[in-house]
Amino acid sequence: MLVAGVAVPLVSFLLLALFGARLGKPASGWVATAAIATSCVLATIVLYQWHFAGVRPEPHVFTWANLGTIPLKVGVNLDSLTVIMFFMVTFIATWIHVFSIGYMAGHSDEVDGESKYHRFFAYLGLFCFSMLGLVIASSLLFLFIFWELVGLCSYLLIGYYFDKKSASNAAMKAFITNRVGDFGFIIGLGMVVLFLGDLTLDGAAKALRVQYAENGTLFAHSFLGLSLATWMGMLLFCGAIGKSAQFPLHVWLPDAMEGPTPVSALIHAATMVAAGVYLVARIFVLLTPEAQTFIAIIGCITLALAALIAIVQTDIKRVLAYSTISQLGYMILGMGLGAWIGALFHLLTHAFFKALMFLGSGQVIEGCHHEQDMRKMGGLRHKMPVTCWTFFIGVLAIAGAGIPMTQIGLGGFFSKDEILAVGWHRAYGQGEVDAAHEMEHAAAAMPGPWAQAQGAGHGAVTASDTPAGHGHEAAAGEHGEGHKVTPAWPAHRPGHWLLFLVPVVIAYVTPFYMMRAWWLTFMGKPRDEHVYHHAHESKLMYVPLIVLAVGTLFSSYFLFRPMVAEAVSEIGLQQALVASYDGGHHAEAGLAIDHDTHKYLSMIVGGAFVVGFLVAIAIYWNGLGLAERLARTFQPVHTLLVRKFYFDELYGAAFVGGVLVIKRLLYAFDKYIVDGIVNLSAAVTERLSRFAGNVLDARGVDGAVNGVGKLALELGGVVRTPQDGRIRNYILFALCGAGVVLLVVVRAWAS
Amino acid sequence: MLFLQEWILTLLIVLPLVGAVAVAIAGAGGRPLVPRSGENHDEPRGPRLGQMALAFSLATGVLTILAVALFFTATSETGQNLARAGGFALVQDLTWVADSETARRQIDFRYHLGVDGLSIWLVALTAFITPLSIWASFSGIRHRQREYYALMLLLEASVIGVFCARDLLLFYIFFEFTLIPLFFIIGIWGGPQKWAAAGKFFLYTFAGSMLTFAGVLYLAWQAARQGGVFTFDIDTLYRLQLTEREQFWLFLAFTAGFAIKVPLFPFHTWLPLAHTEAPTAGSVLLAGLLLKLGTYGFLRFNLPMLPAATQELAPLVAVLAIIGIIYGALVAWVQDDFKRLVAYSSVSHLGFCMLGMFALNQAGLTGSVLYMINHGLSTGALFLVIGMIYERYHTRQFDKLGGLARRMPWMAFFLVFFVLSSIALPGLNGFISEFLVLLGTFTSRNPLDGWPAGPLGAPYGVIAAVGIILSAVYMLAMVQRLLFGQLKEPEHTPDTSGGLRPDLTRREITILTPIALACLILGVYPKPVIDSIQPAAQQQVLAWVYAGDTDAAFAGAIAPRDAGAPARSAGPGAKEGGEDKDRLSRSTVGFSQSGFATCFSRWGEDQSPGFFPFSDFSRIPDSAVPEVTHR
Repeated sequence: MLVAGVAVPLVSFLLLALFGARLGKPASGWVATAAIATSCVLATIVLYQWHFAGVRPEPHVFTWANLGTIPLKVGVNLDSLTVIMFFMVTFIATWIHVFSIGYMAGHSDEVDGESKYHRFFAYLGLFCFSMLGLVIASSLLFLFIFWELVGLCSYLLIGYYFDKKSASNAAMKAFITNRVGDFGFIIGLGMVVLFLGDLTLDGAAKALRVQYAENGTLFAHSFLGLSLATWMGMLLFCGAIGKSAQFPLHVWLPDAMEGPTPVSALIHAATMVAAGVYLVARIFVLLTPEAQTFIAIIGCITLALAALIAIVQTDIKRVLAYSTISQLGYMILGMGLGAWIGALFHLLTHAFFKALMFLGSGQVIEGCHHEQDMRKMGGLRHKMPVTCWTFFIGVLAIAGAGIPMTQIGLGGFFSKDEILAVGWHRAYGQGEVDAAHEMEHAAAAMPGPWAQAQGAGHGAVTASDTPAGHGHEAAAGEHGEGHKVTPAWPAHRPGHWLLFLVPVVIAYVTPFYMMRAWWLTFMGKPRDEHVYHHAHESKLMYVPLIVLAVGTLFSSYFLFRPMVAEAVSEIGLQQALVASYDGGHHAEAGLAIDHDTHKYLSMIVGGAFVVGFLVAIAIYWNGLGLAERLARTFQPVHTLLVRKFYFDELYGAAFVGGVLVIKRLLYAFDKYIVDGIVNLSAAVTERLSRFAGNVLDARGVDGAVNGVGKLALELGGVVRTPQDGRIRNYILFALCGAGVVLLVVVRAWAS
Repeated sequence: MLFLQEWILTLLIVLPLVGAVAVAIAGAGGRPLVPRSGENHDEPRGPRLGQMALAFSLATGVLTILAVALFFTATSETGQNLARAGGFALVQDLTWVADSETARRQIDFRYHLGVDGLSIWLVALTAFITPLSIWASFSGIRHRQREYYALMLLLEASVIGVFCARDLLLFYIFFEFTLIPLFFIIGIWGGPQKWAAAGKFFLYTFAGSMLTFAGVLYLAWQAARQGGVFTFDIDTLYRLQLTEREQFWLFLAFTAGFAIKVPLFPFHTWLPLAHTEAPTAGSVLLAGLLLKLGTYGFLRFNLPMLPAATQELAPLVAVLAIIGIIYGALVAWVQDDFKRLVAYSSVSHLGFCMLGMFALNQAGLTGSVLYMINHGLSTGALFLVIGMIYERYHTRQFDKLGGLARRMPWMAFFLVFFVLSSIALPGLNGFISEFLVLLGTFTSRNPLDGWPAGPLGAPYGVIAAVGIILSAVYMLAMVQRLLFGQLKEPEHTPDTSGGLRPDLTRREITILTPIALACLILGVYPKPVIDSIQPAAQQQVLAWVYAGDTDAAFAGAIAPRDAGAPARSAGPGAKEGGEDKDRLSRSTVGFSQSGFATCFSRWGEDQSPGFFPFSDFSRIPDSAVPEVTHR
C-alpha cells in the first residue's frame, strides 16, 4: 500500500509533465493535490492498521540488478519509523499542495505565452515521489538514489524562477553543495560494499556486528587515528551534512529561499532537509562512538551558528531558513548524542511547525505583494488574523513553550527537552552516582515497556501503544548490572559539556529570534503604509494553516513519540547496539531519560521561551529604533552576523577563486604544453622530413607509409584537400614522434 | 534461422555499405561521381538523399534489433544460452586469406565475426545513434549531401565491423577505416578550423595506431612461431605464451593506438579541436562511438591478451585516467565555448571508463562497458542539442547567449535532461555505470568472494569520486549560463531558415526523444543489460586476465559453485603451471578460456572434455593447428 502511495505522485508527475500544459492553471494543481491526498489517505490507513490494529505485512523484495554476488535489491523497509514518516510527509505535502494552488495562482509565470504553473506541480509530484521513496527505501543504494532525486527536485524548484539570476544561482549552489556532501556519502557507500558486502540496511548492520565481534578489518585498521568503521560512519554522514545543511555545508539553504514559498515549506523545512536526519537515524546502527561524537559536534556548531545569524536577518524567509538550520542542528546533535528518539521526535514536530510558519510567511509575502523585508511590515495582525495566530502557535512550538514540571506543552517542548536531557546525561551523567542510583530506582519503578526491557537485560523492548503520557521512560539499557553504571561515554572528554551547554544557551536564543520575527511582522505599528494597505489574506491558503496549527498543537506527543519509540525495538536498535558495542551504553543513552535530568533541565531551560520572548518584545516593542541602536553599539558583532560569519565570502575566495586559478592554469597547460608538445613534434618532424625529402628523396624511407598517403591523397582528390602534399610528412613525423615519446615514457617508467 | 544467425552480422556491415553506394549513385543523378571544379555544390537536392540514408540506417537498426534478439536466444549445441553464459554468438567464421586448403596452413586470415555481451550493446548503440545523427543532419548539412550521407553510412559500417570482428586483422582494418569517413566529415562540413582539426585528428590517431599495428604483426608472428600458422585469429592469439617483457612492450604498442583514441590523458589534445570543429553529427558519432573503439580495444586486446602487463601497468593507466577525470573536468569548466566544454567532459568521462576497466574486477568492468554505452547516449545527445542551438544562433560562445529556456523550452528540457544523465543522476543511465565503476575501483584490492586482488584500491576511488562533484559543477554551470537568467541572443537570430523554428521542431524532438527514453530505461531498470554484460566480462576478459593466477579460491569463484571441482580437473595442465616460470602460462588454471568451453564448464552441463577440442588447452601443440570450430 505504501508503494502505491509512492507511485501516485509519480503518476501525477507524469500526467502533468505530459498534459499539464493542456490542463491549465487551477486544474493541474488540483490533479497533483488529489494525487498526494490519495497517498495521504493510504498512509493514514497504513498508520491506523499499523499502530492501532497491529497489522504487520510481509515486505516484498525485488532484485534491481545483480552485481556479481551482491544483489542490489529494491524493497520496502517497513517499521514504525517508516510509517510515521510516510504519514508526516504525505500529510504535510497535501496541505502544502492546497496552499500552493492559491499561492502560485497569483504569479505571473508565463514562458512564451505558456504558463509554467503545471510544471510547478509536476515537480512537486516528482519530489513527493522521491521523498516517499527515500522514506521507504530498504537499502542504502536506493536511499542514495532517492536522495539524489530529491536533490534534483530541490534544484528544479529553487530555480523555478529561472529568469532571476539569483534564483538560478541558488539552485546551482544547492545542487553542488549537496554534491560535495554526496561525495562523502558515495565513498561511504563504497566502504559499506567493500567491508560489509551488503547494501541493505539490515544486512549491513548484521555484517557490522560480525565485524565487531571478530574484530574485522573495519575495527582492526585505522586511518589518521580513527578506525575505518568510524570513517565509514563519518563519510556516510557527509551526505546528511549536505542535505540537512549542516556546518560547513549550510550555505545553500538560506539561498534556497529564492524558490517559491510552498517549496521552502515542503522541501527546505519539513521534509527534504530532514532527510539527512532520517539518514543518520537509518545508519545509526553503523555508527561507532567516535563517529557519533563527530556528528554531535557538527550538529552543535550548526545549531549555534545558525541561531546567531538568525538574530539579525531581516528577510522573513531567511529567519525561518536559519532557524531551520539551527533546528536541524538540534536533531543532528541529538543523533550524535544518542538521543535517537528525541531527534526523530523533534524532526516530526519540527516538520509540522516549520511548515506552518513557512506557509504563514508565504501568506504574508503573497499578501504584501512579494515584500519579504520584515522592516517594512508590522501590524499585520489586523489584516491577517488567522495567519498571525497560527504563526504564533508555530513560534510557541519552536520556542519549546510548555509549563515546566508538567506534561503540558507543545511539541518542541518535549522533543527539545529530550535531546537536551540526553546531552546533560552525556555531559554530567558519569559523576552523578546518586543520579545513577536514582535512575535505577526509576527504572525499576517504571511500568511499561522499558521496565520489561530492564528485566530482560539485553532483550528486545516489546512494542507498546502506550501513549506515553509521561515521557520519562527510564533506562532500558541500564540493565541490572548492580549499581555500577557502565560509562556511557569516556568520562573525561573535554568539550562534552559544551555539547550540552551550547544547545541550552541557544534554547534561549531561539525564542528570541522567533518572537522578533513574529513581532516585527504582525505586532507593533505598520511601518510601511503601502505594504500594509495592500495586505490581505486568502482563504484557500489559510485552511492549510489552521490544519497544520491543529496538528502542531495536538498530534505530536500522542502519535509521534510512541511511534518513534516503537521503531527502536523494531529496528532492533538497542539490541544491535547492546550486542555490538561495549556494555550497551548506547542503548541506554538512546532511551534513558530519568526524572532527575528532567528536574534539572526544567530549571535550566523550562523558562527559556519566556525569557526569550520577553527580551524580544522589549527590544522591538517600539519598532526598530532600539534594535538599531543596539546594532550600532555592537557594531563588529552585528556585522559579523549580518555577513553570516563570512562563509560565502570564504568559500567564494577559497573554492571558486582557487579552483578558478587552478583550472585556468590547467587550461593554459593543456593548450600550450600538452598540445604544444604535440604540435612541436609535428613541426620538428615536418622539418626533418623536408630535409630528408629534399636531400634523400625519401621515397625509399617512407615507402610503406606512402601507400597510405597515396590512398588518402586519392580520396583527398575527390574532395580537394588543401593539404595534399603534406599528409605523408605528417604521417612520418607522427610515427617518429610517437615512437620517441613512447620510448621516453617507457624508459622513465621502467627505471 | 540458422542462415540468419550466421549472416546477420555481415548483413549489419553490408547494409550501410550498400546504402553508401546507393546514396552516392543516386546523388550523382547522372553526373560524374567526382565533381569537377566549377560545379555548383550548393544546389539544394532536397532532403531525399538524407531520407535515403536514413532509410538505410534505420533498416540497419531494425536488423540490429533482430540481431540482439537472436543473440539473446542463441544457444550452443548443448542448448546452453550463450548470452547468459558470456559466450560468443552469431559467429561467422570463413577463411579469408589462406595459402592453401590443405590441412597444414601457413597463413590463415579469417573473416571471423561474432558478438558477446560486451560488443552486442555497442553494436546496438551504433545502430541506434547513427540514424538519429543522420536525421539530425537534415537541416545542418546543405551542401554536398551525397558525399556526406555516403560517408556517414560508411562510418556506421566500419564501426559495426570493429565491434563484431573476431580476427585481429579484420578488427584493425575496420578500426583504421573509421578514420577516413570521419576525416572528411570533419574536414568538409566542419567549422572554421576544420582542416586543422581533421588533419590533427587523423594524424594523431593514425600515428598511434601504426604502433598498434606493429604490435598486431608481432602477435601474428608469435602465433606463427608457436602454432605454425601466421594468423590473426583472436581466439588463437589469446592463447599465445608471451613473456612479461613481450607483454610489456606489446601493451605499450596497443596502448599507443587505443589511448589516443579514448583519449587518455595526456593524449587528448586532438579531441577538443576535432569535436568542436566537426559538424553536429560528426561530434555525435565521434563522442558516441569512435571514442569507444579505444576503450573497446583495451577491453578486447590489452586486458585478455596481455594479462601480466595489464596487472602491472594498471596503476599507471588508472593514474592517467584519474588525472583525466579531474583535469578534464576543470578544463571543461573554464571553457567559453560550450561545445568545447562538452568535448572536455568526454575526457573526464572516459577517464571513469578506463578506471573501471583497470580495476580488473566484475563491478568495474561491467560499469566500464555500461559507461561506454551511457556516455554514447548522453554525450551524443548533448552534442545533438548543442548542434541544434548552433544551427539557430551560429555561435558557441557562452557570453553571446543566455536565458534560452525562455525562448526554447523544449530544448531546455532536453538539455537539462541529458546534462542530468551525464552527471550521473540516479534514475538516469549515467548513475549505475558511474556507481559500478567507483565500486569496482574501491573493491579492487580487497575483492569479495575469493577473487584475486586487483591492482587498484580505495584511494583511487576516493580521488576519482571528486569527479562527480566537478561534473555537476561544470555541467550545471553550462546549463545556467545557457538557459537561465535574462534572455540574450545575438542580433538577427534565431535563424529560422531551412524549416527551423525558434524552439525545437517536431523532427528534432523526435530525434531526441528515443535517446531520452533509452537513458531513462537504462537508468530505471539496467538489469537486463548488466546481466548480459557481466558473464561476458567474466568469461571473455577476467578469465583471461587472471588465467595465470592459480589461486584456488579464484578458480572457485569463477567456476560454478556446483561444478567447481570438475571444471578444475578438466585441465590436465593444471599441474604444469609452475614449471614454466618465465613464460606466463595462462591456460593452466584448469578451465578453458574459450567462451564456449568456459560456459559449459561454468554451467556444469557438459563436462566431457571430448566435446570441445581445446577444453584442455594447456599449450598449443605445434602439430595441432587451432582450427576454429565453434560456430
